[in-house]
Amino acid sequence: MLALRLSRGARPAVQLRRLLVAAASAGTGFLLLGTLGHALGHPEAPAASLLRLVWCAVPLAATVHLALAVARTDPGTRPRPGLSAVGLGPAHLMAVSALTTALSCALGSGLALLLFLHLRGDLTGLPFDGAATDLLGGGTPLPAAGTLTLLALVPGTASAVVAWQLRPREKGRATAPAPAPAPGGASRPHPAPGAAEAGPALAVVPSTLPWGVAVLAAGLAVETYASRSATASLTLPGGLPPGPLGVLAGWLLTAVGLALAGPGLTHLCGRLLQAARPGALRLLAGRILMAEAHRIGRPLGVVCAVASGAYTTATVPAAPRAPAVLGPLTTLGPLTTLGGLLVAGCAVATLLTAAVEARQARAQHTDALLRLGAPARTLRAAAALRTGALLALLTPLTLLIAHLAALPLTHR
Amino acid sequence: MEAPPDNDVLWARSLHFTHDDGSPGLGGVSLGVREGEILAVGGPCGSGKTTLLRCLAGLLRPQQGEVWFNSLPVHTMGAFARERLRRERFGWIDPAPALVPELTVWENTALPLMLRGTPRRRAKTTALEWLERLDIGDRARHRPHRLRRAEQQRVAVARALASSPTVLFADEPTASLHRADRAHLLRTLTTAARSHRITVVVATRDAQTAALADRTVGLLDGRCVSAAHLPEVADPEGRAACSLSA
Repeated sequence: MLALRLSRGARPAVQLRRLLVAAASAGTGFLLLGTLGHALGHPEAPAASLLRLVWCAVPLAATVHLALAVARTDPGTRPRPGLSAVGLGPAHLMAVSALTTALSCALGSGLALLLFLHLRGDLTGLPFDGAATDLLGGGTPLPAAGTLTLLALVPGTASAVVAWQLRPREKGRATAPAPAPAPGGASRPHPAPGAAEAGPALAVVPSTLPWGVAVLAAGLAVETYASRSATASLTLPGGLPPGPLGVLAGWLLTAVGLALAGPGLTHLCGRLLQAARPGALRLLAGRILMAEAHRIGRPLGVVCAVASGAYTTATVPAAPRAPAVLGPLTTLGPLTTLGGLLVAGCAVATLLTAAVEARQARAQHTDALLRLGAPARTLRAAAALRTGALLALLTPLTLLIAHLAALPLTHR
Repeated sequence: MEAPPDNDVLWARSLHFTHDDGSPGLGGVSLGVREGEILAVGGPCGSGKTTLLRCLAGLLRPQQGEVWFNSLPVHTMGAFARERLRRERFGWIDPAPALVPELTVWENTALPLMLRGTPRRRAKTTALEWLERLDIGDRARHRPHRLRRAEQQRVAVARALASSPTVLFADEPTASLHRADRAHLLRTLTTAARSHRITVVVATRDAQTAALADRTVGLLDGRCVSAAHLPEVADPEGRAACSLSA
């Protein structure tokens, strides 16, 4: 009840973010149900259905990622003095947060079920009745248990992850002060374990950049190597470009490496921005970017990985049966297109939500700066400078990596 | 609209302010701040000290009344002009040290100067000089989170003084400190202000701060009073009456 009351009183922007979660959950639920429909329609090919189910893990992960980002920015479930005073501490609010997430996701799942039944032809009375009967395995009765299990997957996973991530954590009783980062020193990030508790995030240089680069390089190497030895190619559903298993694994490794390298790249970008005798503008822009490297960098890396995937899908010619004049995108199946759009939308929405979270976290410092008489124009210019620097560094890098990753798939 | 008296650097007449939720803030406060003096604004919690300081510094616009700064009407200025006035002429110290956590101590101190367009080298020299004067020169390259609270607050004082403002507003600058640190901070603040002829308006609750000031203005329930005397505590028989009725 409390979760509902807290949800209802939120501002439109917050409701919009929750609606986004519901939409993403609806899309994922529909994809999962589509797998079920395929399995019902093709009982002779369980392997293909299983492959489709495995591919659903990508939209599921994107949806959970988005739900977590939205739960983090939700003002209704943040610990507040007023609620703490009546005994609603962080532990209870964690439960409220998980419940809110489950509600949004369940709403989406319900919509997905309705749409699925409608397109299958089980529900009548609306336009497009049974428009996709063949695709979704119409004509066979839907098993209730399987449907419910698949539909409960998104709300269950999302709320469990939210509860785990937002669980109340206390600082250790004896945390030593963090070692100071080397002043003006090497740009090579080094891990600083345990420093996260002692000070603001600035003290921690992201340690995933070497890992990200290593995984990225390994992925490219695996891909190139596997593309030489033309092994049995794995046919993917929905018109995705086919390729040897090794090439696909390498390509996935590349994407993972790009996502891992995100925080480190963001930190590097901030460091470059504030290098060489900065004035107030570059100082504010660069240092804030360095401090927010963890928050912004992770979703940014995911967006880069998704962009690289989109580039590959757009450039690699699909299965040979497709007419080349139509271009590669027209050969994608409707469910694959839905999945791709879902993943891309979730990644971008997560990035924007993370930006909102960073702005909320910095609100009091911004207020203090305004009290000093800092021009609002300067603060806006610093934000624009951060965005521009990130775009300038990451766009060519993503394009280059996407091109390299797509090379073995195109030249075979 | 008549101009203020010549010897007052800051001058307010019958300020009325009501908060957004309708609760009363100020009910007709008038005061003048002479150049180079240290004026303490005393009064209990909730008496409108912070609101008065914010109105004087141009952070809030009073619904009625006038604020003049050196024959500039602050109450009629637009948001941009007031922001510029704050940047160029005023300094502000918060109850808690509101430093930018990402910048080092000297960068924090030099930030107002750099925002005014002072070259980086000159801003750095000035900031380091002020940090030396306030006994925190050896922490200049650290980040604020590694300093103790009292040291952070001294950095905030250095930041406010480094831009050599005409008027420095200090909103309970010692509220979160122990008494030893309190005395140290106040002594350095007042000494620096007197030697550099900076006018200081300090909101405070304790008599020690008020004793260091040239003049004290008492506030009670949003009005100026000559001496802030709280009403006498009701007779002890009231207690019995309360417990009976409860």
